[in-house]
Amino acid sequence: MKVPLSRTVALAVPAERAWTLLQDVPGVAACMPGAKITEQVDAAHYKGVVAVKVGPASLSFRGEIEVQDVNAGSRSLRLLAKGTDTTGGSGASMALAARIEARDAASCTLIGSGEVSMSGKAAGFGARMMSTVADQVIGQFAANFAARLQAAPEAAPAAGAPAAAAVQPLGAFGLFWGALKAWLRALFARP
Amino acid sequence: MTETAELQERAQKLDGMGTSLLRKEDARFIRGQGGYVDDIKLPGMIFGAIVRSPYAHARIKGIDKSKALACPGVLAVLTAADLKPVKLDWMPTVGGDVQAVLADEKVHFQYQEVAMVLAADRMAAYDGVALVEVDYEELPAIVDPRKALLPDAPVLREDIADKKDLTHGPRTHPNHIFTWQAGDKAAADAAFQGAEVTVREEILNPRVHPCPLETCGCVASFNKATGYLTLFVTTQIPHLLRTVLAMLSGIPESKIRVVGGDIGGGFGNKVPVYPGYVVATVASIVTGAPVKWIESRIDNISTTGFARDYHCVGELAADRSGRIKGLRFAALADHGAFNSHVSATKLPAGLFSICTGSYAIPNTYCRVDAVFTNKAPGGVAYRCSLRVTEAVYLIERMMDVLAQKIGVDKAEIRRRNFVKSEQFPYTTGFGWTLDSGNYHAALDKVLEAVDYAGLRREQAARRADPKSATLMGIGISTFTEIVGAGPTKVCDILGVGLFDSCDIRVHPTGAVIARLGTMSQGQGHATTYSQIIATELGLPASDIVVEEGDTDKAPYGAGTWGSRSTPVSGAATAVAARKIKDKAKKIAAHLLEVAEGDLEWEIDLFKAKGDPSRFKTMKEICMVSHTGNLPAGMEQGLNAVAYYDPPNLTFPFGAYLCVVDVDRYTGEVKVRRFYALDDCGTRINPMVIEGQIHGGLTEAFAVALGQQIPFDESGNHLGNSLMDYFLPTAAETPTWETDHTVTPCPHHPLGAKGVAESPHVGGIPCFSNAVIDAFAHLGVTHMDMPHSAYRVWQKCHELGLDRR
Repeated sequence: MKVPLSRTVALAVPAERAWTLLQDVPGVAACMPGAKITEQVDAAHYKGVVAVKVGPASLSFRGEIEVQDVNAGSRSLRLLAKGTDTTGGSGASMALAARIEARDAASCTLIGSGEVSMSGKAAGFGARMMSTVADQVIGQFAANFAARLQAAPEAAPAAGAPAAAAVQPLGAFGLFWGALKAWLRALFARP
Repeated sequence: MTETAELQERAQKLDGMGTSLLRKEDARFIRGQGGYVDDIKLPGMIFGAIVRSPYAHARIKGIDKSKALACPGVLAVLTAADLKPVKLDWMPTVGGDVQAVLADEKVHFQYQEVAMVLAADRMAAYDGVALVEVDYEELPAIVDPRKALLPDAPVLREDIADKKDLTHGPRTHPNHIFTWQAGDKAAADAAFQGAEVTVREEILNPRVHPCPLETCGCVASFNKATGYLTLFVTTQIPHLLRTVLAMLSGIPESKIRVVGGDIGGGFGNKVPVYPGYVVATVASIVTGAPVKWIESRIDNISTTGFARDYHCVGELAADRSGRIKGLRFAALADHGAFNSHVSATKLPAGLFSICTGSYAIPNTYCRVDAVFTNKAPGGVAYRCSLRVTEAVYLIERMMDVLAQKIGVDKAEIRRRNFVKSEQFPYTTGFGWTLDSGNYHAALDKVLEAVDYAGLRREQAARRADPKSATLMGIGISTFTEIVGAGPTKVCDILGVGLFDSCDIRVHPTGAVIARLGTMSQGQGHATTYSQIIATELGLPASDIVVEEGDTDKAPYGAGTWGSRSTPVSGAATAVAARKIKDKAKKIAAHLLEVAEGDLEWEIDLFKAKGDPSRFKTMKEICMVSHTGNLPAGMEQGLNAVAYYDPPNLTFPFGAYLCVVDVDRYTGEVKVRRFYALDDCGTRINPMVIEGQIHGGLTEAFAVALGQQIPFDESGNHLGNSLMDYFLPTAAETPTWETDHTVTPCPHHPLGAKGVAESPHVGGIPCFSNAVIDAFAHLGVTHMDMPHSAYRVWQKCHELGLDRR
């Protein structure tokens, strides 16, 4: 099953600083709840893990990330991530296009869009929850991304090692309630 | 006591044919003492669990067993590479194709078998499965069979991409399996060209699954010292499975014992030979330990024995009064990743050409194109395995479509086209010879029982009332089934003809054991067969034991599927019993010192004509047959074996009527009434028949109103647990009203035709016709199943019916 992703985030930092962080794959990954880069293969290829809870299922995906089409002029890039959960029961891939647009000298906008595609048990059982889970994940990512820019305004991300500590399963309790609330909202919303 | 009363009492003691003897099987089932495969525990037994693919189509780049092997309790991990040296990585299917036992380089459907983890206990095996790391490269999947033959479609089966045919004629595309045609296309086309009225409808029979309560599984036990393999297994075809195992393994068939045991429902799901059986067998041969493998519910629904997935186009040509002049039916068959549909050599699309139904239709043509997709293989199930359900659904739906087009009543259109009772035996345009029938009488009986005219009046009033919250629909199905495969001249599996057998041994005291080549999965065989023997031999059914499913004990037969047990093995039982009776008659003549011709049979004894005081009871003869007091040259014993090759299939039929009320605001379909008249020829145990009809109607209800195996565009299974898959319980199931007529089969020794599949085959179109009839006045000619509330609501919404 495929879940479309789309999010626009206002950032109170100059475009160039946001763009610098966006190119730092381990740094970006650290903003993703439950995600961690474990190895840099080459300039464009990384290996990493993502832990996520979908309903009652805890999934831990291990996979590869490829950074494609980095364009400094338009401050845009594309990411392609593919992974299999460690029990072999599910697969996931994500194609993401992200760009930074300057609004003024001190602020900018992060615009992301893409698609997550799930296979196996995650697709079979998670289908009801997936789009709300994805929304929650993106929301947390955006908040972390903004917070990271605010917290370390001058940090040179090229140094590598992301600040995030141990990998926490994505969301866990908070995410579940968030998803439940979003689902209930959708249920009673007028079309 | 009068003589009649005495005769009646003697007959009653036998509990023979025609009595509703309580099922012999139920004494153990209701006490929880059935013996199912997962109940078997052998010393030293280990467990296998299967690693399955999360992808519908992917290349396997590597399999890392190391972490699984380090898991406590895990003994081994088998992959295709381990099966290659013994040439068991691929196996032949009953459809003339091959199937990967464990995925070899590529996976072709989601949840396909990739490896088996062997462990000391079941939980360790599952732990091991989670630790096997498989590196997949996902490939584009084909989910929609209509896209399988596009020029740029991905090639699914690289292993056979270059094969010119898969034993069923030339292939036109790497994803093409076969194209099969029957009838006279030119004549059919001509009939359509000159026709006053033609109708055409695209009708889907969606992919469903019978979902038996017991999933599939086995215990394989190979004795290295004796070279003897025992397989306890959930199978409907123990003897054919033994033959397949012998062909695959090279073990002499005499050293393989297949034991069916009690089976918790089959419905065709337990006909195929599954990779789990083969790997467990290999594992036992390698380790010398018994190996148990049991499917989970998700495994069962996802990978074993699905049903249908026929994308049909029906066309009828008729005159203005609705008399059919021509028929053209086509189907695109989604066979999944491997062709494992049971395809008798001459009939790759099974018995689909029974699609003329109960009607006298000239100028007929049908065609089936089968293709590969990235879905599980199968197609053998469900409660009519040989594409009869699809064929009957199509013709019964098209009769309604035609009736609506010309404005004729839906009962009347059937009457105008029925084969008349005096026309039997009637040979259809496709060459099937319908053995016997009385269709007009059956339909008329039903219409009278339900006050059909009154129902139509009520419906007209409902339609005229703009305030009515419900729509009323009346569905009719007047089906003809084709069961009892089958004559060896047309039917075989892997070259073995579909005859069947019965071995009867009569003990000195008159107790009997009978062994048959069929395999009960809940049909009550032990009861029905014993009643046949009771009547034929005049020995009480209570003392007759029936055994099936153990290939070391039972004579060879093709098992139980396609409602073939009574038509084929029931006939073999009668023939074997009659051989015994012939011998008993000789003994009686010897004892009474009369000529055989001077004896007559009476319930349980032979008596001398004209002298009722001189007789020998069957029980006396049983004892004498084990003494020396026999006619000169006669051997002791009273035993017989019969192998029965039926001269024709049998053609049970029925007339069903269903009344539904559809809530126009929610789409919920309420079945108000379902009246089912079945004619299965001679009725052996009316209660068992009734039970089979209740079961078949319930499964028809399930298919028509809720069952479906949905996939997303990547081939992900979206309905493989009981959270999603509809299994009706007593809460949802309607009340069934049953009725019958009896038109005996002229070629069966007892006149019986078989019944278990009729209610499923005839029931599904009846429900659909009722739901669609509710919308007929609004111009709706067809709605695809399942008629779940949401899908029916969508139709209501589209028509604006849900606006207040």
